[in-house]
Amino acid sequence: MDKIIQAKAITKIYSKNGSITVKALQNVSLDIEKGEFTAIMGASGSGKSTLMNIIGCLARPTSGEYFLDGGNVNNLSDDDLAKIRNHKLGFVFQQFHLLPRTDALENVELPLLYSDRSDITKLAQQALEIVGLKDRIHHNPAELSGGQQQRVAIARALVNNPEIILADEPTGNLDSRAGLEVISVFQRLHAEGKTVILVTHSQEIAEHTNKIIYIKDGKITGDESVQKPLNARDELENLTKETEVTE
Amino acid sequence: MKMFRLTTNLFKELSKNKMRSFLMMLGIIIGIATLVIILAITQGANKKIMARINIFGPNAIMVHSGGGKMRGPSSVSEANLTRKDLRDISSIEDVKIVAPFQVKLDMPIKYQSKFTTATVMGAMPNWANAWKRGASKGDFIQTEDVELLKKVCVIGETVKNEFFANSNPIGTDLLIGKVKFRIQGILQKRGASPAGTDFDNLIIIPFSTASRRLMNQPKYIAMMRVIVDDPSHLKIISKQISKVLRRNHHLAFQEEDDFKLTSSTQIVKMIKGVSNTLHIFLLLIAGLSLIVGGIVIMNIMLISVSERKKEIGLRKAVGARSKDILLQFVLESLAVTLSGGILGFIVGILGVKIMELVTSTPAAVSWEALVLSFGFSFIVGIIFGVQPARKAARLDPAEALK
Repeated sequence: MDKIIQAKAITKIYSKNGSITVKALQNVSLDIEKGEFTAIMGASGSGKSTLMNIIGCLARPTSGEYFLDGGNVNNLSDDDLAKIRNHKLGFVFQQFHLLPRTDALENVELPLLYSDRSDITKLAQQALEIVGLKDRIHHNPAELSGGQQQRVAIARALVNNPEIILADEPTGNLDSRAGLEVISVFQRLHAEGKTVILVTHSQEIAEHTNKIIYIKDGKITGDESVQKPLNARDELENLTKETEVTE
Repeated sequence: MKMFRLTTNLFKELSKNKMRSFLMMLGIIIGIATLVIILAITQGANKKIMARINIFGPNAIMVHSGGGKMRGPSSVSEANLTRKDLRDISSIEDVKIVAPFQVKLDMPIKYQSKFTTATVMGAMPNWANAWKRGASKGDFIQTEDVELLKKVCVIGETVKNEFFANSNPIGTDLLIGKVKFRIQGILQKRGASPAGTDFDNLIIIPFSTASRRLMNQPKYIAMMRVIVDDPSHLKIISKQISKVLRRNHHLAFQEEDDFKLTSSTQIVKMIKGVSNTLHIFLLLIAGLSLIVGGIVIMNIMLISVSERKKEIGLRKAVGARSKDILLQFVLESLAVTLSGGILGFIVGILGVKIMELVTSTPAAVSWEALVLSFGFSFIVGIIFGVQPARKAARLDPAEALK
């Protein structure tokens, strides 16, 4: 299989106030295959968000090399990185980061504004359909539940048909049911062939992926394949049954 | 296409926070409105000046008897210009015409049982050339009329309408004071001055007849109209005339003039002198409003950039380049200033209309005002929008999204 992400000996050092330096990542190497559903797991401050920023071309490593889809990203200009983010990557954040007072459709259209696509409304509608929000396209974020907002954000990540979906704690602000709904969307996208990378601190969430990479104190401490990933859809059904029983 | 999409979002962005957008525009609105009003006043004043100059004659100098402040025509009773003055002025280089005339205001005029009053002027035939105004019907004053002290007259339209309505008055007699004059012509119509003086309530009689038979001023001349070959010579020739008259009138060095010269340059000076201070004051207000408005916009935009850090980070994450963000914020600032400019232009026009109604000052809103309004709004938008936009464009996406 193709390695869509290849990180070689990446180190990221932040300097605060000029004197104090923080080593967020030390000598991190990792490969992610095309079409894999991978979790990057670690406690807060472990460097997992920094790693995701580098994988997502939002930040540059201090040293080391990073290949995305076979191309070396290190030497690219800021504008080229923006283009890569636009074409190849889709981001989902813990805080959703939807534009306030802007309806779901326009939020999803946002990445297309920076592309050369012309059929933006149609594409955005399709993306919202995929996440099951066809009937909510003209709702503002304030009129949507947390789970729905996160699904709008996923639609926004999907709208450019990227190779890789990067999700940073996407269930962090959601209750367990909404969280499972979001995870089930990722599982479906994975089943359809997308590469999905999920950053989380929760072992339970990570169990839904096929491979878990552990990170601690800026270093990768190991990885393991998940033999039988949990199925979010089944869990949702069980949850519904349980509620019915208790009622 | 991309540009268009970004632009259509601008007004949505502005309408999300209407109060803030309005406050951002306020300085621009006031500045542009003031600018439009100043321009309208200036244009109106210029029109007024041009009208006055055209009536006065752009290449004319009026010589009044008697010194002191500028005022209306000098009456025969104060006449002190001599025939020698006339000859000496005529011999000045570049002087084309010197037309002497006697003036008496509000003389009683009688025709049959009807009375009126009119200004009566005793004029030489060259009066017609000096004023570019002859007889529209019949004859103007002829050399022979002057030589023979004929009791003939040329009447203005107002006098004609007063006495004769639509009938032809030429050949009939009327009384000026107690002297009978025969009407031999109708004077070309001139209308009223901007100040309201009726230039057609006038009767012209031969100079000699006026001096000796009607006004009892055989020695002195009340006024002269001097026409020069080129308006650019007005200043020099005025000085020469002044010198000649002071010498002829034996005025000592410290004595004031006992005559008065007026020309179009002085009229312009007089009108502009009054309005200039007002214009400078208003221009200052306009300039300050625009600068303060721009600073307000810059401040609010800088706050807005801090507030919208996450939005900027997100836009960058989904593919916006720094220049896209820069463009977005500059366009937002431009949308504010241009909207403010349009509102200011409308407020300015309303202000001009109200001013016209209240003060009856002539004012004219021109397309130059529209162009300048847009120009200044654009410049302010760019100057004060670039700094916040650059701050936004420089944000690091990973930092901004934290």
